[in-house]
Amino acid sequence: MKKITQLVALLCIGAFTIAALGCGNSQNASSKTPSKVMIEYWHVNAESFGGPSVKQLVEQFNKENPDIEVVEKYNPDMYKGLTQNLQAAMASGKNPDVVQMGYSYLNYAGENLKYASIPDIITKLSPEDNTYLQDNFLPNVLALATTDDGKQIGLPYSVSVPVLYYNPDVFKQAGLDPNQPPRTWQQVTQYAKTIKEKTGIMGFFMQEYADNWAQQALIESNGGQILAKKDGRTMAGFDTPEASEAYQVLADMVKNGDGLHATNEEAFQAFLSGKIGMVCTTIGKRDNFEKSAKFTVMATQFPSFEGKTRKLPAGGNLLMIFSQDPDKQKAAWRFVKFLESPGALALWSKGTGYLPPRKGVTEDPQGLKDFAEQNKNMQVAMSQMPEVVKWASFPGANGLQAEQALIDVRDIILSGKQSAADALKQAAAKINSML
Amino acid sequence: MKINSYRDWYWHILLLFAVVIQLWPLLFMLSTSFKTMDQIFLSTLNPLPAKPVIDNYLYVLKNLPLIQYIVNTLLIASSITLAKIITSILAGFAFVYYDFSHKEKLFNTLLLTFFIPITVVMMPNYLFISKLGLLNTPWGVILPQLADGMGIFLMRQSMRNIPKPLLEAGRLENASPWVILTRIILPLIKPSVIAMGIVFFINSWNDYFWPLLILHDKPTYTLPLALQMFISAEGGSEWGIAMAVAMLTALPPLLLYLTCQRFIMNTFMQSGVKG
Amino acid sequence: MNRFTWQSALFLAPATITLLLFAYWPLLQDVWLSFHSWNMVSPTMKFVGLQNYLQLLSSDELIKILLNTVLYILVLVCVNFILPYLLSFIIAHRLNRFSFFYRSALFIPSTVSLAVASILFLWILNPLAGPLNIILSAIGLESPRWFKESGLVIIIIGLIIGWKVFGYNLILLAAAMVDVPKELIEAARLENVSNWQLFRRIIVPMTSSTALYVFVITVVFGLQYVLVPVNMLTQGGPDQGSTNLVYIVYQYGFVFFQTGKASAFAILTMLIYALFLIVKTKVLDKKVHYEN
Repeated sequence: MKKITQLVALLCIGAFTIAALGCGNSQNASSKTPSKVMIEYWHVNAESFGGPSVKQLVEQFNKENPDIEVVEKYNPDMYKGLTQNLQAAMASGKNPDVVQMGYSYLNYAGENLKYASIPDIITKLSPEDNTYLQDNFLPNVLALATTDDGKQIGLPYSVSVPVLYYNPDVFKQAGLDPNQPPRTWQQVTQYAKTIKEKTGIMGFFMQEYADNWAQQALIESNGGQILAKKDGRTMAGFDTPEASEAYQVLADMVKNGDGLHATNEEAFQAFLSGKIGMVCTTIGKRDNFEKSAKFTVMATQFPSFEGKTRKLPAGGNLLMIFSQDPDKQKAAWRFVKFLESPGALALWSKGTGYLPPRKGVTEDPQGLKDFAEQNKNMQVAMSQMPEVVKWASFPGANGLQAEQALIDVRDIILSGKQSAADALKQAAAKINSML
Repeated sequence: MKINSYRDWYWHILLLFAVVIQLWPLLFMLSTSFKTMDQIFLSTLNPLPAKPVIDNYLYVLKNLPLIQYIVNTLLIASSITLAKIITSILAGFAFVYYDFSHKEKLFNTLLLTFFIPITVVMMPNYLFISKLGLLNTPWGVILPQLADGMGIFLMRQSMRNIPKPLLEAGRLENASPWVILTRIILPLIKPSVIAMGIVFFINSWNDYFWPLLILHDKPTYTLPLALQMFISAEGGSEWGIAMAVAMLTALPPLLLYLTCQRFIMNTFMQSGVKG
Repeated sequence: MNRFTWQSALFLAPATITLLLFAYWPLLQDVWLSFHSWNMVSPTMKFVGLQNYLQLLSSDELIKILLNTVLYILVLVCVNFILPYLLSFIIAHRLNRFSFFYRSALFIPSTVSLAVASILFLWILNPLAGPLNIILSAIGLESPRWFKESGLVIIIIGLIIGWKVFGYNLILLAAAMVDVPKELIEAARLENVSNWQLFRRIIVPMTSSTALYVFVITVVFGLQYVLVPVNMLTQGGPDQGSTNLVYIVYQYGFVFFQTGKASAFAILTMLIYALFLIVKTKVLDKKVHYEN
C-alpha cells in the first residue's frame, strides 16, 4: 500500500508540475498583448463536422484583425449542450460573445436569454452598416432569425434543408432507375415497397432526431402547420387532417415493413452499409455520407405532395451576440461580418454542407461557384432555398417540454400504437395545456 | 479432494462464453480504430479490417494535444482517488474506533450522500465553484469530489472485520489512535483499500458529465471530453478517429488494473490463507 | 470504545465537511428551488409553493417513471449482482485453473467509458446491419427494434450497463470469495454437499458484507449509469420509455430548463432512496455476518 501511495503521489506531483507548466505557458502567450480585445466564439462543430473549418476561419480572422483575438469554444451535444453551457455561464455572470444558436431555440433564446440586439449594435456602434442586413439577405432568410414578436435577435448563418438521399445500387437491384428518383410522397411509398419486395432491403427512413424538423417539413408540405395563432395566442396547429394525412404516409410505410423506425445512428449506419434504400435527412450529412459509403450517394429534392407547395424548415443556426461591453460588441460585430463574408461562407459551406444564407455566394467565383457546379447533391439542396421557412419553435417557459411531447408522439405513431390522427389530437391537447 | 472433471468442463464453457461476450465489442472497438471511413459499416460478422491503417491514430497524434489530455485526466483521477481514500479511511476509522452520540445517524447521513445523483447537485455546485474562481481548472473538478459516502461505508465494513482482540492489544499498550490505525488496521485492510482505489480511479478517469460542465477550454479537457469532439449529432461522427481516442482512453486504466491485480494476488498470498 | 469526541471529530472532519458542503448544501438549495419556477438564467424566480409537487404527483408520467425505475433495478440486480456472485463463486472455488485469466478478461470492459460502450452496442445491435442481426437472420429471426420498444429498451440499456459493470462487481466478490476459509469448503465437499447448498450455507454468510455492498452499488450506481446511454441513444424515449427517476431530473433541469420541477423530482428521488436506505439498515444489515 505504501509503495502504491508513493507511486501515486509521485505521479500526482509530476502531473501537476507538467500541467502547471503547460497552463503557465498558455497564460503567458495570451497576456503578451494586453491591447487586444478578446472575444469568445461558441459553436457546436465537432472535429468530424466543421471543427477544422471553424479553426481555419478563426485563424484567418485573427490574422487579418490584429487588434482582436477570437477564442473558439466547442460545445458537445449540439445546441442543447450549447444552451445548457450558455445558461450555466450566464448564471455565473460570464457570457461568451458570439454564439451559434440553433433555430429551434429561437423563441426560447429570444424570451429568456439576455442577448445584444444586432440592429441596435449597428445603429449605435457601426452606423455605416445600416443597410447591411437588407442588402445581403433575402427577406425569407432574414426572417429565420426573427422571433415571433418581430425581434431580429441574430443573423442567419448555417442553413440546412432536408433532402432525400438514396442508394443507386439498391435502386438498380430493385429494377428502379437511379436517374428517376421519386418526386412525390406517393412515389416514395411505391419505391419503398418495390425495394422491399424485390430485394428484401428496407426501403425508407426519415430522421428521428431529438427534434421535429423533418416531420415539420412533411406536415407543412401537405398544408398542415405545427403552430397556429388563434386569438393572438400561439397554439398547437397540427391536429388537422392535412397534418395527420402526411404523418400517416410515414406511419403506413413503417407498418407495412417498408419503412424503418429506429434511432438515427442505427438507420444511418444501416444506410451506409447498404441496408436501406432511401434516407430523408439534412444536407449537413452530405460530406459524411459521401465519405463513409461504399456506394455513390445520390440525392434528390425533398418529396412533395401532389399539387401542394413544399415548405422546408431551415435547420442549422443563427449567430447571436451576447457581449454587454461596447468594445466587445464592436469586435463581435466585426467577427460576425467576417463569418458572413462570401469567402468565409464558401469555406464554411464546403466544410459542413450547410447552405450559405447570403445572396450571391453560389454565383460568386470567390464563393461557391465551382464547388456547386461539381457537387450534384449540393445543387439539389440549393435549389430548395426559395422554399425555406422558419423552424417552428414553441414559445414560453414550457416550450422545450412541448417539443418533447411532439417527439414522443412520433414514437407513438410510428410504433403503431395509435393512428396519426388520434395521436396528434392528444398531443395537441397536452401541448396546449403547456403553452 | 475429488475433482469432478465433467463439471469443470461445463463451467469452463460457461465462463468462456461470458468472456467472449465481454470482449467481442472491444474487438470491434480495436478494429474500427484501424479502419478507413468507408470500411466501418460493412455488414459482416468479421470485425477485422481488410486493410488496417493507422491513419486514425496519426490524426489523433497530430491534431490533439494527447499528452496534455492524458496528464489532465491523470491529475484529476489520481487526486480524487487519493483524497477519497484518505478521507474514507479516516472517517471509517472514527466510526469503528470511537463511540459517540448519534453515531449511526451521522453514518447514515454520510452514506446517503452517495445516493444523490449528480444531476441533483450539479447546478448549485457549478455556481459555487464558479464563485470560487475555479472554473476551467482541474481543481474545480476535484474539489467537490474529495470524499465519498461509499468509501466511508466500505472502509467501515472492512474495518469491522478485524478481530477485536487486535484492537484491544493496541489500546492496552497505550498506543495512540493514529498508531493503531496505521500499524494495525491499515495493513489488514490493504486489499479493500486497493479495490476501492481502483474503482475510484477508473470512475474518475471515465467521468464525463461533471468535467464537461467545469472544463471549457480545450487544453483543460480530459480524455472523455476529447472523445466527444468526434461524435456529433448534426454532421455525423468520425467513428474511426473516435475509436482511436477511445482505445487510448481505455489503455491506462486497463494497465493499472493489470499491474495492480498482481499486487492484490501477492497480498493475498502474503497475508496467508486464513484459518 | 473511546469517548474522546474531539479526536473522533478530527478524523471525521475532512469527509464530513466535504460531503456537507458539496452534497447536502446543494440538496438544500434544491429543496428551496423546488418551491419556485425558474429557468436557471432569468434573474427572477417565481415562488409557486407546492405547485411543482402537485403537478409531479398528478402527472401520468410519474407511474411510468416509477415502473421503469423498478424494471431497471430488476435487470441490473440480475446482471450485476446475482450473476457475478454466482460466477465469482465458480471461479474462486470450483475451478482450479485459469481463475486469474477469467478475472482479468471479464474485467476489461469496466475500463472502457460507458459512452464508448453505448456506441459499440448501437452498431452491434443494429437491426438491419449489425453483427447480431446477421446471426439472427441466419436462424430466420428478424431483429427487434431494440431501442424503440418500451420494455425492450430498458432491458437493453440495462444489459449495456451490465456489460460494463459486471467485471467490477466480479472482482469485488471474487476478493470476498478468496477470504472464505478453504477448510470450511473442503469439509463441506467431503460431506458431498451440493454446490447450491455450499453456496447458500457457507459462501453467502461469509461473503455477506461485500455482497451487501455490491448490491447497494448495483442499484444506486446502476440507476445513475443510465444517464449516459439514455442521453446518447434514446434521450428518454421512446415516448418516455427509457427514462427513470435519475434521468428525469436531468431532463427537466438541463433539457427543458425547468429548474423548479427538476428539483421537485430530485427531492422525490431522495425520499425514495432514503426509504431504501432505511430498509437496508433495518433489514439487510442485521443479516450480515461480521467478525467484530
